[in-house]
Amino acid sequence: MVIAMMNKTITGLCLSLLLMANVVHARNVDLSTVPDRQAVQLTIYNSEDLTLVRETRIVTFKQGINPLQFSWANTLIDPTSVDLQFPGQADGLEVLDTTFPHDKPQMLYWNVHSYADREAKIQIEYFTSGISWSADYLAIADREEQNLQLESFVRVRNDSGEDYENAQVRLVVGTINLVEKIAELARIPVSRVNELEKEEYRRLRQQAGKRMMAFDAVSNEALLSAPAPAAEAMAQPKQIVKEGLSEYFIYTIEGTETVPNGWSKRLRSFEADAVPFKVQYRYRVREYGNQLVRLYLLTNDIESGLGTTPLPDGQVRIFRDNGRDGLSYLAAQTIKYVPIGDKIELNLGTDPEVIFELVKLKTFRDNLWMRVKGGNIYRQVGSINARVEINSQVAGWDEHQVFSQRVRNYTGKPIAVEIRREYPGDTVFRSQLNPKLHDFRTVEFSATLEPGEKADLHHEIVEKHGYNKKQDRVTLEKGAVRL
Amino acid sequence: MTRTTLLRTLCTLLLLSTFSLDAFARIKLITLPVRERVEIQLDHPDLTLVEEERIVPLVKGINQVDFAWANTRIDPNTLVFRVLAPTDGTQLDVKVLSVSYPPNENALVWAVSASDSGAVRVRISYVLGGLDKQFHYRAVAANDEQTLTLSQYLRIKNHANEAYDQTNVWVGFGEQVAKPIGLNETKEVLLGKYRDVPLKKTYTSDPQQFGYLDRAKDKLNVPMHYVLKNEAVSGLGQASLPYGKARIFQDDGRGGTAFIGEDWGKFTPPDDEMALYLGLARDIVIKRTIEKNERERIAGNLYRHQLIVKYEIENFKDTPAVLDLVERVSYLRNEVGIQSPRDPEWQLGNNTTLNNGPDPDKSDFDKLTFHVDLPARPGDGEAPKQIHKLHLVLNNEW
Repeated sequence: MVIAMMNKTITGLCLSLLLMANVVHARNVDLSTVPDRQAVQLTIYNSEDLTLVRETRIVTFKQGINPLQFSWANTLIDPTSVDLQFPGQADGLEVLDTTFPHDKPQMLYWNVHSYADREAKIQIEYFTSGISWSADYLAIADREEQNLQLESFVRVRNDSGEDYENAQVRLVVGTINLVEKIAELARIPVSRVNELEKEEYRRLRQQAGKRMMAFDAVSNEALLSAPAPAAEAMAQPKQIVKEGLSEYFIYTIEGTETVPNGWSKRLRSFEADAVPFKVQYRYRVREYGNQLVRLYLLTNDIESGLGTTPLPDGQVRIFRDNGRDGLSYLAAQTIKYVPIGDKIELNLGTDPEVIFELVKLKTFRDNLWMRVKGGNIYRQVGSINARVEINSQVAGWDEHQVFSQRVRNYTGKPIAVEIRREYPGDTVFRSQLNPKLHDFRTVEFSATLEPGEKADLHHEIVEKHGYNKKQDRVTLEKGAVRL
Repeated sequence: MTRTTLLRTLCTLLLLSTFSLDAFARIKLITLPVRERVEIQLDHPDLTLVEEERIVPLVKGINQVDFAWANTRIDPNTLVFRVLAPTDGTQLDVKVLSVSYPPNENALVWAVSASDSGAVRVRISYVLGGLDKQFHYRAVAANDEQTLTLSQYLRIKNHANEAYDQTNVWVGFGEQVAKPIGLNETKEVLLGKYRDVPLKKTYTSDPQQFGYLDRAKDKLNVPMHYVLKNEAVSGLGQASLPYGKARIFQDDGRGGTAFIGEDWGKFTPPDDEMALYLGLARDIVIKRTIEKNERERIAGNLYRHQLIVKYEIENFKDTPAVLDLVERVSYLRNEVGIQSPRDPEWQLGNNTTLNNGPDPDKSDFDKLTFHVDLPARPGDGEAPKQIHKLHLVLNNEW
């Protein structure tokens, strides 16, 4: 088998029914049969390095005690999680004991008691490590930047050391709690594929790729040989069924997948053709750093053509139709889990066609208070009855700073700009910009600029220092700045 | 097959329709679709996006389209595979089913389903490392230094280990450039030539930024710049001028040009000025002294300071000039020993002789820029000395 050749250093998972007496552990000469896997189900968690594997096999038991050997050399299986069950046939079969031999760390024995000679389906369940999945997204904005073509993908990567053929794959979106890492429990490094000759490796890879693409052998064979109408014969991208379960979402990939060790496979999770979005420019230091950034703003809801599933954490790659029958690469960013109905921000970074400068035009001080002789007497400078006290110190003052927030729009469209600035201490924000408070120390104001427009957004900051500082918050004041 | 085709190939496996899948994997025909069209998008400030179109033959059913990029720095996460709609009216339905990534190899395999046998045009886009761009300029000033001709060049360095025989290059502005870019080649392309761009030659004194020619004698450095504005009247102004080296020449009046220096041109948005440094002017001499430093108590430790800076200016050139005289108040405040963490609060005093006040476009709360006209040295060789004073009142200092 090609994959077996590729992974020739990997022994793989081995289940042996030992054909010998009950006590077998000390024997050096054994005879065993190896029942094939009938089905494999992988449930992969993206929040932890954890995969729950359930495999079923058909085993023939004789009446009495049947020793079963299960080994997992060179794979990342948590030995404490291995469990044997007999689905639908519990009455006649019973696990008497489980033994982990001291000299073979990647092996265990079960002694199974059967009340009759029989064939039975067994299910082995275990946690493994090294299989992961991730989401990623491709977003292509139209030329007018009104709608977005959004594709979501899931990518399953198998570094577990084990090939999984024709496995049903389920992906869990959500966070679970583990007290120990599976990889630490397994304590086995993943074996690496030996380097092969390039052409040979290429041939193997292509064959392996073909196997990975095969949804199942029967349907493909039928597809290629049957003279069915083209529309019926055409294979469609697999559906990924999304279902909520408690606090989690489970994505079940239609049919089965084959994921050889070392390979990864990417499938489309969903596609939305025309997701409406808005373009906004934002200055928020805490969120985006000290720069004006350009954002695409959309919502994960039904009206936008989305909203059927939360969006798992993942990389979004954003392109734009450049209007010349091609794409422009805009940005790549990681988005956090987006619940259904929540907003999605795609940060495109700075726009060289929008110039954003803060210029300090003027500074002056007033409302100065002197503390006399270090005591509790304070006198305001310039008040009618105040004397010039030689032995006094400045104890309080208002520091006025006049700024112009200059914005220039060299894009071909009107732009919406939103600016948030934080001011520590007791501060007055005076302007005619109709600002609002985002929080007790953060002022937000906005502007819309037509193409080619230049805006000077004047504002005056009055910081109250020392004796004058009575609060720790910003107050808004409507009024002309003092240039 | 060229070397570059081997370096990065796109191949499809055409599956013959009478064998089982395992048999197909052994009996196969690999086609190597050539590039039909290539676009290199350089409009992103840091990254290069390559888009190539190929015509890929597909058979009815599932096809394997293999894309490999050995020895090139393609970012596989940016690969986008799009099947373009046929233009000849055929109804071939093609869908991408999945992508598989082999271990330890720069390659991937697209599984593509086709409703019928036929050829489709596909576009593959990816971000490619090693294909870098630079901009540079050649500025030729007229003999009278009133205008210049600005040529803007794009330089593409191809260290991507891949050749692009026929390629359209787009830098984000201007026209597309159709040029082949060979392996390890550097290609230089003229993007635009702007004639009769108004030119301003400036002389500047700014003790903080440019320092002193002779500190003991209080003589300032006077750097010269060619200043051009990125505006429509110059034929420019359609896009920002990117950062790049500018080589500066001047028409020598005898049909040739003389190289007079080079400088880095900063990123210049529309309506902004690009200033190109030419060197120090030795025929304009400025002596700067602080003539007065007095303080008066307002109350306790609160003072008002009176500072007067005197400039003695001589123009030994036989042509008139305009001096940009720059003073930074916080620098001056430090010079006279006032240590303060606060911004200076200043007013112009009555003894100021610099007319018209500071230029509001080139001044702010701390930096003051005045323009001083310097007449040409008269024919008798005696350069008149101008004396100007800047009187600053610094309020509320402690």
